[in-house]
Amino acid sequence: MKLAIFKTLLTGALCALVAMPVMAQEDELKGLAGYIDFGDLSATYGDPKISINIGGTLLQFVGAMAEESDSEASQIMSQLKGVRVFGYPITNDPTVAKEKFGEVKSTLRTKGWEPVVQVNEDDEQVLIYMKMDGQSMEGMTVMTVDEEEVMFINIIGKLDPKELGRIMDNFDIDIDDAIEVD
Amino acid sequence: MNEYDEKWEEQINALLDGELSAADADLLKAEATDDRDLARAIIEAYKLQKAMDEIRVERAPDSLRKRLRAIPRQQRPAPMFRILQPRWVMALAAIPLVLVSVSLMQPATPSAQEIAKARQDLAIAFAYLDKAGQITGREIESTVGNTMSDAIAGSVIRNIKSQNETSKEKEA
Repeated sequence: MKLAIFKTLLTGALCALVAMPVMAQEDELKGLAGYIDFGDLSATYGDPKISINIGGTLLQFVGAMAEESDSEASQIMSQLKGVRVFGYPITNDPTVAKEKFGEVKSTLRTKGWEPVVQVNEDDEQVLIYMKMDGQSMEGMTVMTVDEEEVMFINIIGKLDPKELGRIMDNFDIDIDDAIEVD
Repeated sequence: MNEYDEKWEEQINALLDGELSAADADLLKAEATDDRDLARAIIEAYKLQKAMDEIRVERAPDSLRKRLRAIPRQQRPAPMFRILQPRWVMALAAIPLVLVSVSLMQPATPSAQEIAKARQDLAIAFAYLDKAGQITGREIESTVGNTMSDAIAGSVIRNIKSQNETSKEKEA
């Protein structure tokens, strides 16, 4: 009897220990004001075309690496707490993607995000929302949907859009292969 | 029960068990011939034994059988190397798992490969952001003109304009 209790306790403790780091990381991002949950569209469109989730620790290291070559870009990156990108190819009916679009839009409004730019074309929609705390930015959410793909971008932390190009210059990475810029 | 009765009881039991010597058995039978109570006692004991033999022996419940089997184990002297008992072997085996789990909980320093991957991911993320900016920029440019073509920076521009207006009001 005692052995059975011991086994149960040990198993429970180990499961909790293994699950805790993963849960802690997720909870860390979820707790931030600039975080927004986009849900999951894989049931409709399959595996995401792109899935990026960079936490604060990695961002600090990337920023530190840039410090020698470009201290200004490093300073900009140090203000970021998380960068998340999820994109799905629209392989069939785009209705589900557009519904999710509306759902996230509603969540953003409920949580006090401010719409910055909204493009509503027949074949393309783009939404940019910002979460502000007074004069300080806590997050930015960009969503795009067209006939081919739906994309969700969530920047947690402070990022001045005008400084985007400044950071881009810092990356000597050929991104044309990764995405198709019109 | 007096000593006399005890003596005959032992004799009767021994007789029924077949453990009584032939001489003692003859002596008991001879005694029973003269002693009606002894004769009755022998007959009753015989009947009782026969009745007991006819009773169907039922299997004891498993829980009772386990307990009964455990009795000799409990009375066994404690092993010299208690550490080799199963629970300690399990606990020792669990130590590496616990250490790995605890190390996972620590804020690990990412490897150079992980940083390079994060850097690339970050570039891609910003490229998508830039792409969205271009789309919105084009749209606004075609709608309201070049002055507000920097669509992503819309809120920043609003803030700057607002600050300028406030400054002008103060100067006035």
